[in-house]
Amino acid sequence: MNKHLSYIFIFLLIISLWSCDKGIEPGEPKGPGGFSGKVTFIGNWPSGVTRTHLVVFKNPIQSSDDFFPPNLTFVADSIPYRTTSFEYNSFENNFIPIFQLGYGNFKYVVVAQSKTQNLSLDRKDWYVVGIYCINNDQSKAATLIVEPNKITPNINIVVDFNNPPPQPPM
Amino acid sequence: MKINYSHKLTILLLLFCSIKSYAQTNSIKGKVISDKAQPVIGANVILVGTTIGDAANEKGIFEIKNVQYGIYELEISAIGYEKRKVSNFRVNESTKPLTVVLKETAFETEQVVVSASKFEQRVEDLTVSTTIIKPDYINRRNFLTFDDVLRYIPGVQMNLEQVSIRGSSGYSKGVGARVLVAINGIPLYAGDNGDVVWELIPLSDIERVEVIKGPASSLYGSSAIGGVINIITKSTSKSSLFYFKSYIGTFDKPKHTEWRWDDSYRTFYGAELNHSNSIEDFSYTLSLKKFDNMSYRQNDYSKRYLAHLKLHYNFTPENYLMFFSNYLYSNRGNFLYWKNSQKALVPKDEETGNYVKSNRIFNGLIYHHEFNREFSGELKTSYYRTQFDGYGIEHTTSIASLFRAEFITNYIISNKFTLTSGVEASYADVKSNIFTNPEFFGSGAYIQSEFKGVKDLIVTTGFRYDYIKLDTTAGKNAFTPRLGLNYKYSDYLIFRASLGTGFRAPTPAEVFTTAGVGGGVDVKQNPNLTSESSIAFEIGTQYKPCENLFFDFAFYQTDFNNFIEPNLTKDGDIQFINLSKARIQGFEAITDWSILENELKLIFGYNYMWARDIAKNRAMKYRPRNIVYAQLKYSPTPFDFGIDFRYLSKVEEIDFALVEPPLALVVDGEKRVPIFVTDLSASYSFLIGSAPIRLNLNAKNIFNYYYVEFIGNLAPLRNFSISTEIYF
Repeated sequence: MNKHLSYIFIFLLIISLWSCDKGIEPGEPKGPGGFSGKVTFIGNWPSGVTRTHLVVFKNPIQSSDDFFPPNLTFVADSIPYRTTSFEYNSFENNFIPIFQLGYGNFKYVVVAQSKTQNLSLDRKDWYVVGIYCINNDQSKAATLIVEPNKITPNINIVVDFNNPPPQPPM
Repeated sequence: MKINYSHKLTILLLLFCSIKSYAQTNSIKGKVISDKAQPVIGANVILVGTTIGDAANEKGIFEIKNVQYGIYELEISAIGYEKRKVSNFRVNESTKPLTVVLKETAFETEQVVVSASKFEQRVEDLTVSTTIIKPDYINRRNFLTFDDVLRYIPGVQMNLEQVSIRGSSGYSKGVGARVLVAINGIPLYAGDNGDVVWELIPLSDIERVEVIKGPASSLYGSSAIGGVINIITKSTSKSSLFYFKSYIGTFDKPKHTEWRWDDSYRTFYGAELNHSNSIEDFSYTLSLKKFDNMSYRQNDYSKRYLAHLKLHYNFTPENYLMFFSNYLYSNRGNFLYWKNSQKALVPKDEETGNYVKSNRIFNGLIYHHEFNREFSGELKTSYYRTQFDGYGIEHTTSIASLFRAEFITNYIISNKFTLTSGVEASYADVKSNIFTNPEFFGSGAYIQSEFKGVKDLIVTTGFRYDYIKLDTTAGKNAFTPRLGLNYKYSDYLIFRASLGTGFRAPTPAEVFTTAGVGGGVDVKQNPNLTSESSIAFEIGTQYKPCENLFFDFAFYQTDFNNFIEPNLTKDGDIQFINLSKARIQGFEAITDWSILENELKLIFGYNYMWARDIAKNRAMKYRPRNIVYAQLKYSPTPFDFGIDFRYLSKVEEIDFALVEPPLALVVDGEKRVPIFVTDLSASYSFLIGSAPIRLNLNAKNIFNYYYVEFIGNLAPLRNFSISTEIYF
């Protein structure tokens, strides 16, 4: 009997070590973060452009599915045609209010244009004209880091219509 | 030979003494009853170390005559009950009648007849993994609703109110269940969203629960793609019997002060009165129950009333008519997600004050007729009406009526060959502002055979055809064959194998739902949604090396095609879609060890499961890889102590689309941990007169472990309850 009681004791000890007063804990209060910056346009705007947006993706686009939520996380207000520079703030210029940027790392921030009359969510209807990148090398996308309750400044993108960036897969 | 007088006197004295000694006997009389005050017919009462004994008659009464004066140990046993010993029982001239109360065994793994295959089989003859739960376990643990019971069955997992057998379901707010839950073989799913409302199941009238793990569509059609939970209600009492149960409990306060939203202790309580009786060939059971729960979370209260009526009429001992009706009224707060992890017990601002009122009535009518000893038929019809109204920013409403009829025949062609067949049809009509107003029609026909022609081998084959028509969508056909083998290698070792197919038609809710889920996100219709199908196999073995030790092992694999899951669309809305392929593979081990016969018992279950979306090669949502259950029970009569422990590893995949940007509907929704939950229970049984009474004490989640089963929903905190049961 003593042997059996010792089994029970060991059993109780193991499960109590595993589970006593542990589990989920309240996290630090984290409000949404944001970012701001300027988009500068160089060269002549292509004709027929109906909309231009700064767009944030969690990860680089590997397939056409990555062009949409949940990989697509933020869309800024439409940039007027033939604008030479556009200053923005993600809190003030959120084109789709139900999309919340939150906080975290976003590895693909671009300016994209479309020529369709109606807003299209098809990857083939969009082309990338500028990338937030490292050392002005548009083949090396920079990571946007957004911290809770903070605005990350100077997320500047240069759109050079004479030197378009590499296009992600269709 | 000459015998003198002194010798004659000595002999006479010896004779007298022996006569006197022979007269020093008495009878041991008594009654054997169950812990529900029912006679245990056929219970064996023997004097330990002898062959002297008696069996209880139809009133549970026994009498062992001519027992010499002395002190004895009595052993009382009956199939389906825990053996009991009465020590130091003194037989003399003043021995009084004895009343022995036997407890029903909580779990059964063999020697039990089950009917989940639509004909009666012994569990050891089945070709798929099966667990049987007896009501004693439910009562002793003071489970408030049936879904809590299922949390402790190896291979079964609950994600909030949604049941999953071996990973068949993730979480979709109960919509589109993949486990068919039935009462007396009649499916209990709603006509609109196909969910199961666990509170509608009358816990006090459960005789046993049969859990079949693995697809059973070849018998039950749609919804049984993941398995079947068949709840068998009790036979009505032969004499007047009342049962009363009441309970009260309270939730502990959370350790983290940030979570304390109410200074008072949150309570839950309930009371139930059940009466059963027979008048010649007519018998009935009537049960009324009220159960309220203030909940440990804000706006998560529930107030419920349940009425259960069962009528039974025997035309002959073999032919009977049974009607049962369950009515549930519910008024509850509608807690969807926490505000954030700092306010984990408070809903999001926009959900505060939301509530749902619902009425449900489930009626079943069963007519059983035995044409002769070989051929019998059973007609099962049901009507299930559900109505709910959700009040919040928008008013949501749905009224669904589901009609169902099934005719089953059972033909014992020889003692080696049994044939079961049936046809069924169902029709649902839905009026709703979120599911539109669709109609649903389904019909099916099936046949199943059990062949015992080869020594120690049982072969079952089955085939079912279904036709499903959901409103304006195209009609769909489904063929679901299955094959099962059971081989008794020896009395100690049984092998089983099965290969089965399953299918599930999308419910009206999955196809036609148009509703907001908060934060500007909508659920959208998908009229192109098609049925999902599966093919599954299992190999398993039962090994019983000795009388008090039992093992069950099983390997299983299920491949799903067109698996239906909610998904985030390109437009940022939620829609049910067909995944291309999914696969679930796993291993399950269960052991049942009576360490000390009838006193100390350990049940242990382990399930390893790898459920993945094959196209994306990633885990399926809300499926833990490892699940462990352990139950330790110590029962020194009249006490009963239990420890129940369950562990579920941290789920890899959740609804990240609802948690992360851009939607981020559930703040801190990514917070999840492995689950370690330990419950303690204690009970004390005693008699007042001949009325068995039991007091139960329960402490659930005793270590106050904080976990979620679904994003943004903290599971119940540590809670304590006391309950009283009395049969009279």
